Amino acid sequence: MSNLVNRRAFLARTGTGVLIASAVALPRTVSAAAKVGEPAPAFSLPASAGSMHSLADDRGKIVVLEWTNHECPYVRKHYETGNMQAIQKEATGSGVVWLTIISSAPGEQGYVTPVKANELTTGRKALPTAVLLDPKGTVGRLYGATNTPHMYLVDKAGALVYAGAIDDRPTTRTADVAGANNYVRAALQAVMAGQPVKTPVTRAYGCTVKYS
Amino acid sequence: MRPCTPAVRAAALVALLVIGMLSLPCESAAAPQAPRSSPRVRVELVSRERAIEPGGSIWVGLRQRIAPGWHTYWVNPGDSGEPTSIAWTLPEGFQAGDIRWPQPGRIPVGPAMSYGYTEEVILPVLLRAPPGLAPGTRVTLRADASWLVCEKICIPEEARVELALPVVAGAPPADPRGAEMIARARRSVPTDSPWPASVSVAAEAITLHVKAPDLVVARIGEIWFYPRHWGLIDHAAPQGVTVDGDGIRLSVARGALTPDPGTPVEGVLVIEERLDEGAARQAFVVRAVPEPRREDTQTPVLAAVSLPRALALALAGGLLLNLMPCVLPVLSMKVLALMRHAGDRASVVRWHGIAYTIGVLASFALVAGILMGLRAGGMRIGWGFQLQSPVFVALLAYVLFVLALSLSGVLLIGGRTVGLGHRLAERPGYVGSFFTGALATVAATPCTAPFMGVAMGFALTQSPATSLLVFEVLALGLALPYLIVTFVPSWGRRLPRPGPWMERVKQFLAFPLYASVAWLVWVVSHQAGSQGVAAVLTGLVLIAFAVWLHQSSRNLPARWRRAGGAAAVTVVLASIVLGAMIGGVSLPSPGRAPAPAGLTWEPFSATRLAELRAQGAPVFVNFTAAWCITCLVNERVALRSPTVVEAFARQGVVALKADWTNRDAQIADVLGSFGRSGVPLYLLYPATRSGQARAPEPVILPQILSENVVIDAINN
Repeated sequence: MSNLVNRRAFLARTGTGVLIASAVALPRTVSAAAKVGEPAPAFSLPASAGSMHSLADDRGKIVVLEWTNHECPYVRKHYETGNMQAIQKEATGSGVVWLTIISSAPGEQGYVTPVKANELTTGRKALPTAVLLDPKGTVGRLYGATNTPHMYLVDKAGALVYAGAIDDRPTTRTADVAGANNYVRAALQAVMAGQPVKTPVTRAYGCTVKYS
Repeated sequence: MRPCTPAVRAAALVALLVIGMLSLPCESAAAPQAPRSSPRVRVELVSRERAIEPGGSIWVGLRQRIAPGWHTYWVNPGDSGEPTSIAWTLPEGFQAGDIRWPQPGRIPVGPAMSYGYTEEVILPVLLRAPPGLAPGTRVTLRADASWLVCEKICIPEEARVELALPVVAGAPPADPRGAEMIARARRSVPTDSPWPASVSVAAEAITLHVKAPDLVVARIGEIWFYPRHWGLIDHAAPQGVTVDGDGIRLSVARGALTPDPGTPVEGVLVIEERLDEGAARQAFVVRAVPEPRREDTQTPVLAAVSLPRALALALAGGLLLNLMPCVLPVLSMKVLALMRHAGDRASVVRWHGIAYTIGVLASFALVAGILMGLRAGGMRIGWGFQLQSPVFVALLAYVLFVLALSLSGVLLIGGRTVGLGHRLAERPGYVGSFFTGALATVAATPCTAPFMGVAMGFALTQSPATSLLVFEVLALGLALPYLIVTFVPSWGRRLPRPGPWMERVKQFLAFPLYASVAWLVWVVSHQAGSQGVAAVLTGLVLIAFAVWLHQSSRNLPARWRRAGGAAAVTVVLASIVLGAMIGGVSLPSPGRAPAPAGLTWEPFSATRLAELRAQGAPVFVNFTAAWCITCLVNERVALRSPTVVEAFARQGVVALKADWTNRDAQIADVLGSFGRSGVPLYLLYPATRSGQARAPEPVILPQILSENVVIDAINN
């Protein structure tokens, strides 16, 4: 057990190391410190509910990261059809931690106050474990999130195992939800079954994350 | 600005369709529709012809006029976004080709990078009509276009646009407005690259190598590679570009996907070329074949490694520079001098080492500063850029020659009128050590040690601070062996005792320097031809003569010594002037401009032109060069086109080609008379009509040609 804890602590530390390295080497780009197959970078963000939420708190659990912007038509496609809520329900029902992250800067599309974030969750019957507010875009840049929706999956060992689109239909047509191949659902099923993710990296589609 | 709900969009679409139907009956021939509009993008379907022929093909284009601040996307949209798509509804038997994507632009959005279009874009598509169409009927071409338009926010939009065309037998009449737009659009569609390309994939970066040997560095502005597929590169990362005699090398950080080692990399390379009429952006389709992996390469193929690795390579490269034939003698001289200092106190020796190191570091910082400054000014140059100037190469040959003469014993050490750096380097104090460092740096320029290329390639893709760090570590590598010898007395003691053997070693070391001089003369032969070589060799003879003058007058009375010194200085100045002149003499590059297929080109001469003018024949003169990218593209997209060839034949236009690859003086005069300093220049001399007293003035065509521009000019 102590062995496991040590390993996590190590992963968390390497995550921080990666963050510093990226800040030095590539200051201008979103090119991620986060890489599929490597430890998911550690972060702490305020949750809309009030407390701070650290990725380290979710050790031993599968974690989904969902970048969102409620005004983005691509995001709306998945919420207005109930598609996003359905995966959230499946995931959190199986003990998966679902973190919805908003990296829109103040004044930009999709920026919300904690109160508004909670209203949105209730209003669209969303079921995330927590909604995290990243108005400075630090964590978004750390993960190289470029789009909304942009989805990531972290396995129980803290490694990033999926990054990319929610599905293979890069449109805003609600009719496309039904026949789509949902990459996140497939990745979740694989990880829960202890199998490798078949398509670990895809091109995320949607609106640009509204960084400051 | 909120995006429309589906309901609003549907209502808008219905309204637009109603308007479309109402407008149909009142249109006669072609029925171009009023542009569909959203506040952000107005779309319409344009056609090159007013009608369609059974079995014929027709170019149409989806034209998007985009509001300021907004953009639509290229086929690879970059970090976010979606390319425009067109779903065709065509009469039975019609076939629609793919969208021919015009060259995109870069649109930075915060930390992300999008590839797409601003202001206006026309997406050309080739449609093929079935042979069974009945002339006299009409066909309706219908396109359901959907696109994403973004400013800071993104809005998906769609519209149905239609074009109703009559079917005619025989060649359909052109639609001047549509033809102009289609020609403009097709001009901006990338052409196949005339140069082979390869790609190498390293852990952090990919490097593209385009083997274009004839490019003229000074004419090239920005270069950017747009990969066709997402995931290959980091779209927002800076692209490190070097252009030299070997072509273009471009290194960029890798994207999220691991490329398949067997699959070629596809993309569009956009090269900006400086012309008399301003800059032109030329786009080429590149299919880069993967290179076999090489571990350590002398050329900067595997550039853009991680910073620590680049620093380690820079240090190793700097250390190796010490062994290069142009540096070793300089350094050996310094070590010999050190032996002379052997009797001095350890601290004095140490300070000499430090002064030398500072000299190397400072000179490297200077070279790196100039390099980065020039690059910031838009010059795409790399390490060793100085060697692209034949004047610099000639002067370097002179400096090394003087050093070699002094090692040979022709010029006594301690002489007063040798090269400045050498003279200062021979000063006994710390200043002397500082300038030995500077001299070592100058002597090191023509040498590229293994590992150095990789570090340099990396440095040039980084911020100025990081870049400078890599250069300085390289400098440290160069300075290190000497520094260590001065700092570790036990090593110094291991040096052999001074003695007569030193003179022999010194004389021997002159030969690597003579070899370096020979190599530099060979470099000049490539840059400035036989004339340049003659100038440099004469300069070398003059320098030898100056050395002899100086040496032989040394022991004469003061008057003669002064006269000898003055004569030596005059001769050295003469040799320098000779060296500097070769810059202006000629700068040929090997090869000739490729002959455009399709037209029969006669070589240009003023006499031939005058002769043709006297006969009253229309003449087209193509001023071109092998190294002119725009000329190449013009030949491919306009001058080789079958319709242009046909137009030439119909009007009996005689085609003359003036090949300026080797800067012919006669051609330069003609260019000058039209106020031009370079190619391309296209002149059309109209036919002299009977009754005209004198031949009409030539028409100057734009530097960027399209089929239409040429055909219109010929037909008028």
